[in-house]
Order: sequence, then structure tokens, then C-alpha cells
Amino acid sequence: MKILVCAKRVVDANVKISVKADGSGVDLANLKMAMNPFDEIAVEEAVRLREAGAADESVVVSLGTSASQETLRTALAMGIDRAVLVESERDLQPLAVAKLLAEVVKREQPDLIIMGKQAIDDDNNQTGQMLAALLGWGQGTFASRVVPASGEVEVTREIDGGLETLALALPAVVTADLRLNEPRYVKLPNIMKAKKKPLEVIAADELGVDIEPRLEVLKVEEPPKRSGGVKVADVAELVDKLRNEARVL
Amino acid sequence: MGVLVIAEHDGGSLGPVTRNTVTAGTRLGEVTVLVAGEGCRGAADEAAALRGVARVLLCDDAVCGQSLAEPLAALLAGIGREYSHLLAPATTFGKNLMPRVAALLDVAQISEVIEVVDADTFKRPIYAGNAIATVRSADSTKVMTVRGTAFEPAAAGDAAAPVDGVPPVAAKPVSRFVSRDLTQSDRPDLAAARVVISGGRGLGSKENFAIIEALADKLGGAVGASRAAVDARFVPNDYQVGQTGKIVAPELYIAVGISGAIQHLAGMKESKVIVAINKDEDAPIFEVADYGLVADLFEAVPALTASLE
Amino acid sequence: MPLYQAPIRDMLFAYYELHQGESLRTLSGFEELDRETVTAILEEAGRFVGERLLPINRSGDEVGCLWQEGRVITPAGFKEAYRDFVEAGWNSMALDTDYGGQGLPKTLHMLVDEMICACNLSFSLYPGLTNGAWEALDSYAAPELKELYFPRMASGEWSGAMCLTEPHCGTDLGLLRTRAEPSGDGSYRITGTKIFITAGEHDLTENIVHLVLAHTPDAPAGIKGISMFVVPKILPDGEGGLGEPNNVACGAIEHKMGIKASATCVMNFDGARGWLVGEANKGMRAMFKMMNIERLAVGTQGLGIAEAAYQNAVAYAQERLQGRSPMAGQRTDAPADPLTVHPDIRRILLTMRALTEGCRALAVWVAQLIDQAAGCSDPEERERAEELVALLTPVVKAYFTDTGFEVANLGMQVYGGHGYIREHGMEQLVRDARIGQIYEGTNGVQAMDLAGRKLPMAGGALIERFLEPVRAYLRAREGDAHLAEFTVPLAEAADRLDSAARTLLQRSAAEPAEIGAGAVDFLQLFGLTALAYMWARTAEIGLSRGDGDEAVFYAAKIRTARFFMRRVLPRAEAHYRAVDAGGECLMDFDDRAWSQR
Repeated sequence: MKILVCAKRVVDANVKISVKADGSGVDLANLKMAMNPFDEIAVEEAVRLREAGAADESVVVSLGTSASQETLRTALAMGIDRAVLVESERDLQPLAVAKLLAEVVKREQPDLIIMGKQAIDDDNNQTGQMLAALLGWGQGTFASRVVPASGEVEVTREIDGGLETLALALPAVVTADLRLNEPRYVKLPNIMKAKKKPLEVIAADELGVDIEPRLEVLKVEEPPKRSGGVKVADVAELVDKLRNEARVL
Repeated sequence: MGVLVIAEHDGGSLGPVTRNTVTAGTRLGEVTVLVAGEGCRGAADEAAALRGVARVLLCDDAVCGQSLAEPLAALLAGIGREYSHLLAPATTFGKNLMPRVAALLDVAQISEVIEVVDADTFKRPIYAGNAIATVRSADSTKVMTVRGTAFEPAAAGDAAAPVDGVPPVAAKPVSRFVSRDLTQSDRPDLAAARVVISGGRGLGSKENFAIIEALADKLGGAVGASRAAVDARFVPNDYQVGQTGKIVAPELYIAVGISGAIQHLAGMKESKVIVAINKDEDAPIFEVADYGLVADLFEAVPALTASLE
Repeated sequence: MPLYQAPIRDMLFAYYELHQGESLRTLSGFEELDRETVTAILEEAGRFVGERLLPINRSGDEVGCLWQEGRVITPAGFKEAYRDFVEAGWNSMALDTDYGGQGLPKTLHMLVDEMICACNLSFSLYPGLTNGAWEALDSYAAPELKELYFPRMASGEWSGAMCLTEPHCGTDLGLLRTRAEPSGDGSYRITGTKIFITAGEHDLTENIVHLVLAHTPDAPAGIKGISMFVVPKILPDGEGGLGEPNNVACGAIEHKMGIKASATCVMNFDGARGWLVGEANKGMRAMFKMMNIERLAVGTQGLGIAEAAYQNAVAYAQERLQGRSPMAGQRTDAPADPLTVHPDIRRILLTMRALTEGCRALAVWVAQLIDQAAGCSDPEERERAEELVALLTPVVKAYFTDTGFEVANLGMQVYGGHGYIREHGMEQLVRDARIGQIYEGTNGVQAMDLAGRKLPMAGGALIERFLEPVRAYLRAREGDAHLAEFTVPLAEAADRLDSAARTLLQRSAAEPAEIGAGAVDFLQLFGLTALAYMWARTAEIGLSRGDGDEAVFYAAKIRTARFFMRRVLPRAEAHYRAVDAGGECLMDFDDRAWSQR
């Protein structure tokens, strides 16, 4: 089995972002970047399937500027075999990403695609589902467990209120949720080894798909600030306020 | 061209966020509700009775059973172009389905809409709610998911809308339902609960979380936790409320022994009413709390639970 | 919980822009180490320490180590963290690749060590002592001993400990009483009690390799008769595994002010089997080899603590609303302005920042000199680098740990009462920082090493190894009005340092006590001058970068440099005057009067 895993370079989860004063977007200058945490879980899953012998090859793909090579190297250091960067300076929205990935899939012919359920920058939660649609493949989103069997993969999904298990015919697309696994720490020697693994760069234009943005961002603003309320003296006053003022009890 | 709201349901009745999605739909045009599934007449009738719903489409067929994304998306790819907007709740159901629909229609999808500005323009949170983007769609059909907490639920109306049948679309079966294991806990799901009680590092231990659970049970609420409490292994990871955990917006959020780190606030500041109980009167959590109680949580929480008898 | 984000941008600045990180790639073994890889290593390290070591820092402090019938139990989470730390290869970063180490530059290791210390100083000591023991064995141990111990030390399965101090002797090791009797088979029987042994006993590794200083029966008295022995807790079976337990026992652990999760042990050797490291009676030579490395490592501890204190103080000052700004631009949406508007808070934060970044710049310089010396083929160049390292080592140890304690205290001050209570972790930083000024040779001993041992070397020429590049730098910028605000104060400080060195040397010829009387002030003057050199060069780089993507970063460098020159460097003048005042006023105090009041 061959696994394709997708990884996006995003602002590090621990960084507090700020909105640009002119409302044109989020100020990303010189912020610490990292692999999208959900994609990191996807990479870990691919590496584990490879280590367990369920897969014989793993390839990681990222889309974006050449800086995304750093993200790919991290995936390689975690244990992925080789990397592909679809390079583009443009704003790639989920539909465009899915279309570009579909072209990469045509070249790579994977049996299973794993990616994070969403990126923590745009919070779209779309790309995996869109890619599955474009390929006509089954989808297992928000996965907390992935078990390949003959010609199928069984995916347990985290749905509101519990878990659901589906069997997907291969090839299929799986998107990773938080509890699928706990990504490993990269081993120091593997950082050095990752340098020697192949990393192919493909210009997005070469893939010949429409990557025109469909959504125009008119404005990005800070969310309305919540102002602090009152301090209550004791539990009795709290209960009274919740009952009679806020009416939530 | 009207608006199509895709209902989430369990066959007999509608999922709670569907009603909020109908409200969002009425801001955009005449609302038709699609109820697709197997044995879902009950849900269709409930949808037909909602105020603002002009028509209900019912696709009651085994093909649509278990709400699998693949057949539902195939159905919507067929009828979707007849509508200006396709809306679904931003629940795991809607998030699973709508991007697939959008890709089949070759249009963008707009996630977690919190405000309808006009027919083409919407507001949605990005960066875990730390910024709000206003986006305009250039597509002929707008496919979107709606954050329930941003819209009131549609109430039942005076008259029932007509319910018309639609045939399913046969698609190559690529996925198969195996099982569903819904949480047996009497407590509601964290992300959908009306009340959430979260504990922080101030609880001090796993065992002490029992006082949080007791209060949650009294209020019919869910139990959450700050990242510090999860890091200290008081509770499992899935309890975490915050930027890297769950985003919640219940009617009542009670933060106990939580100082209010930025990453935690990002996960709960949309809550309607926030209560903070903390012994440190300068804790940042008080800056967002509607009601703050400076007290020892080991005294205040049991007292609160007791006073709700 | 205190926060920590590894200051990777600043580390890269010191590594590549201020110093010659790229040139390390010309050294054998480091060819692959491009900037991308260095960045990746620093980022992964930063992530590990933040996620695994920081969360167990406070809990480790609360619980401390537990002694139970000779065994030492480390606080919850330490075992797992150590296991993962070793698994990821961080323990063996700079160790020899022949034995399974990673063979990375000391410079990189030092930066990662800074991160570890910033997050969990107690934890840092366990792998840290292994590194120190390795250094001593590496230079002097017989090949068989290396073959026996190094693979297990590199794998992290066995750790190291240094057994020097005894109940009656710390600084003066000539007084030690531990004996080593030859047992006829080439090994020795070691008997004696050692105290204050960091990581002497713990549960993180299956074996502990003690390096013990002892006298053999026929050895000359005092320091010239000390030999070093390797004494394992459990005897190796000769096939890489473990054999019989040795007669090494932990009698107790100390209850300390800080670094409570680090086991500080009383070690009893009762006829324990040991093997000589290097030549008999030459133990101090091996010990010094190790101690020089350890002194730099302890300096790094001060730097790590300072960074942790700075980051948390800044975060608190930005969030905490208190009082109104004396200037325009008050926040209208809040009842008060953040602490950062207040001039005195800005003074504190800038002092912390200037000292911390300045020490990091100096640390990277010294570490790169060590790497260059180790990999250099030209013996003359190598000697020059080694001399400069020898000169700067006591400065790094003492000035950095004094700075770590000062900066930790300043950090606590920003928090006010909230810094004094335990909750925010600021008082722990103060307590943990304090030991750095004491162990591995007190800072007074470091000052004596600098002023009494290093300064007179080569007829007093050693200090030129430092002053020469500073003067060359200044000469090349003479008349540059743009840089004058940085170069003029640097030139003054360098002149003061030069003059103080001459004064000490001249006076000590007639009056030996003059060295001890002026040593600490001389070391402080040296540290400040070295930082001034770093900051002048930093400001110059900042000025040359202009308005790129990183305009804010470089502008902050320039402004911090300016603050250092105007508000911190004046301390140098006070230290100079103290040196110049001489020792008479302290030596002529009547000893009978100490307790007569």
C-alpha cells in the first residue's frame, strides 16, 4: 500500500496572532511557523502504518511557497520516505488545493490519502472532503482510528456525541482528528537523515488546473472584545444572578 | 432561486443546530429543507412545521441511510444548482458533507458562517476565533456551514409546509457503515452542550475533578478542562477547551480554577454567559467573565452544587 | 504555568550573523550542517523542552527527590521525560559518533542546553553530568575504559556523576581523605564519603558511572597526590551488560533551596571497585578538563534561567493592567494601562533583555571558539582559540550565573507580590538560579581563577587574546560617527579593563592579597566589557539591515544595544574604581573585631 499524506505550513499554534490595522488580513511577518498540528497527526499515522508493514511507501505533499520545504523536511524527519512540494506564491483556497492534489494523486497513484481535518489558520475543514469528491473516492473524516484491511480501510470517526465506524473501499481519503495518535518527537539523527531524502518541486502552473480564488476576503477584523462583568460576593449572589439576571439556570 | 437547508436528524427528529441553520437561511431567501435518510418522515414533519420553512424535500431511502457523505453529496450535486445557497449546520455532519458537495458543484465552500452580510457576503471566524474574516463569494451557488451559536433556533410556525419526495441518486458505493457508538455518558457532548463546566490546574488532581462532575451533573452540563489541567493529566485530552482543543459556545460556561490563558479564552469566549471561580482576583479569566467569584473553588463549587438542589 | 518559547531567532542571530556559524561547516563532520538543519534542530529542541520538560518543572520543585533506603526516586514525570529525551537523541548531541553520539558542534549543544535549563534546570543536570564525565574520560581514560563505558553513556542508559567534594573539603581538594588501595588485579578499592554529589543516585538510568577523586597509599600529600577513578554503581559484566552491584551507596540526599528535583547525594564508597583514569596523581588534570566544560555549562544555566525570567516577565507586564501611563496614549477601553507603559518596568525589562541577549551572544562566541579549536589543523590558531576560551571560561561561569540570579530577581519584581508567591513560578527561578553562583567553584573562586591564575599567564599577555580583537574592531571603526554611541563606551570599558588588569598584576607582585581583593570586581568589569563588545557589534549589524522584513527585530537590537551602553555599562566604572581602590581597606580590618560589637 502506498500512502500520500498532506501537510500545510501554518503559524505555530502557540503564537498569538494579531490583525493588521488596515483590516487586510492577519499580520504574519516574522511569526514562528510550524506544521499544521492536525497534519502532523496525519504524518504520524502514515509513519506508523509504514512501520507496522501496512504500507510500503509514504509520500508527503505540501502546497505553498518554497518555505513549505521546511514543513516537508519535518515530515521526512518523522519518517516519511519522500516529499513533493507544489510550489505557488498565490493564495490557494481549499478547492484549488484539492484540484492540485488530485493532479498529484494521478501521478503518484496512492491507495490511501491522509491529511489533517483542518488547518489552524483558515479553519476551513474542507480539503480532504473536496479531494475525495474530485477523485470519486470514499472519505473518512475526523478519524480517531485507522485500520487497513484487504482492499478496505476501517475508519473510526469522531462525530458529535460519540464515535462512528465506516469501512471505505481503497483508494480512500482519511482526515485526522486530535485523538488519532500522539505525534512523535523527531529524533535528532533523523533530522540529518531527512536532508538526504528526495524532495521534488513541481510548479503549480505545471499541473494545469484552475486555482483562481473563489472567495474574496474583504476584511479581517478582531472579534468583538468581551468586557468583564461584575464580581459577586458569594455563591448565593452568583446563583441569584444566574437565575434572575442572566436567566440561564 | 431559494435556499436549501440540509437537515441533520436521527430519523425521528431534527438535530438541534438544524433549526439555527434554518434561521440563517431565512436571511437569504425562501427556505426549503432537505431531509435525506432512511425512515426519516418524522424529521421531515418537524422541519415542515418550522417557521420560515416553505417546503420540505424528503429523500427517504436506504441509499441515504446512516447519513453517509458520498450518497448525500451525489444527491445534492444533482438538485443543488436549483438553489442560490446550500446551508448545513457546522456540526460534524455538515462539515463532513458540505465540502464534498461544493467540490462536486465546482464552487467554494464557506465554513462556520457566523453572520450573513448580504447574499454573497459572510463573516466567519479564522485562527480559532482570534480574527473574523468577511468573505465574498463569486460562485453562482453558495455552499456553507452555519455556526449554530450565531443564530437563534427557528421556532415552530402556525402552518406546516408541504413535504415532497425526491428520489435518491445511485452512486458507486465507496463507503459502508459499520457501527456507531454514541457516548453513553448522561452528560451532553462538550461541543454541543448548553452548559459547560471546565476545570483548570487549580483543581490540583484527577480525583478533585469529581466536584466539577457533580456540578455538571446537577446542571445537565458537559465537563471541560483547560490545557494546563490536561497537561497535568487530570483529565483526558478530549476534555480540552481552547485553541487546540474544542471550541465551545454554550449558554452558560463556568470556568473553575482556570486562570484564563489566551489559548483557553479562544475556545470559550463566545459563550453567552461566562462565570469564573478563582482564588486569584487578578486572573485574566475575570476580564471576560460576566460573573466572577473570587473564592476557594473547593468551598465554592460544592456550595454551588448544593444550592442548586 | 510559566511559558517558554525557545528564542530561536535570537539564537540564529548570534550563531550566523554575529558570529561565524557558517564557517563551522568547513570543519570535518559539520559539512551537512546548513542553516536549515540548524534551524530544524533548534525548533525540535525548543518544542521538546517546552512540551516535556517545562510541565514537570514546577511539580518537580514541589515534590523534590525522595530518598528511600539508599534509592533515590525522582519526581513524577522525570523518568518518562528522560526516556523520551534520550530516545530523541538530545543527550548525546555533542558526543563522539564513534560511540553512538551525534557529533554535533558544541555551539549547537550549548544553545539546546540553554533551552533545557530555561525549562527545567533540575532535569538538565542529569544528562549534563554525563557530558561532564564523558569529557574527563575522553581525554585521559584508557581505550578499554572508553570501550566499556562510552556506548552506554551515549545511549543514555548509563549516566555520569562527579565525586569531588567531601564533608571537610570543597574548594580545597588537597584536603580530601578518600583512599584507593590497589587490589592487585589492576583495579582499586575505593573507600570514603563524598557529599553534594549531583545525580549521584537516581532512578533515570540503570547504572551510574562515578568519577571519584582519591589518594593512593603512596601518593604525595595534597593536591599533587590526587588520582581519578571510574567507579560504577553496578560493575559492567564485560559484554556490555550489567554484573554485580559495586559497594557504592547513597546515604542521604540534601534538602535544598532550589533545584529540588535534582538529586544532591551523600555517596559512601566502601571498598568499591574502581579503575584509574589516566596517570596516578594526575587526577586534577582530568578533573580540570571536565570542570572547564562544566563551568561553561553552568554559565549556560544562568543564561537559560535569565531567558525564562525575561519571557515570563514580558508576558505578565503586557497583560497586567495597573496604573496609568505618564504619557499620552492611554487605553480607553480598560480601567488601567499595561505594566509596560511604566518607565521603571521598561527599565527592568530592558535590563533583563540586554543582559540575557548579551550573554547569549558571548556564549555563542565562546562555544564556536571551542568548536574551532577542536577542529583546527593549524596548531598556532588552535592555541590562540584555546587561550581565549581559558580566559573567558571563568567569566562565563561567574558573570552568567550572577546575571541569571539578577535577571530572575528582576523578573520576580515585575510580578510584584505575584512573583513572591509560588503560583507563577518566578520565585522558583530565583531559587534555582542561586546555586549557579555556588557550585562548580563559587563565583569568588572563578574570579580568583581569572585574576590570579589566567591573568599572570604568559607574562600577563593572555588578556590580549580578548583585548586584541576588541581594539582591532574599534580601530576599523574610528571616526564612524554613526557607530560612536556604541564604540566610544566600548573603548572606554576596554581601557578600564586593560588598566585594571595592569593594576592588579603590578600590585600583586608586592602584595599577593591584592588579587583576591580585586578579583570579583575585575571579573564583573570583564563581563560587562565583553557584553559591550557583543552589543556594539550587534548594533552595527542592526544598523546595516535597514527596513527589511525584520525591521522590528533589528530595530530592537539597536535600541537594546543603546540601552546597554547608556544604562548598564556604567556599572563597569564602579567596578573599575573598586579594583583601583585596592585591598588595603579590607585587609587592615582587625580580625579580633569581627564578632566584637
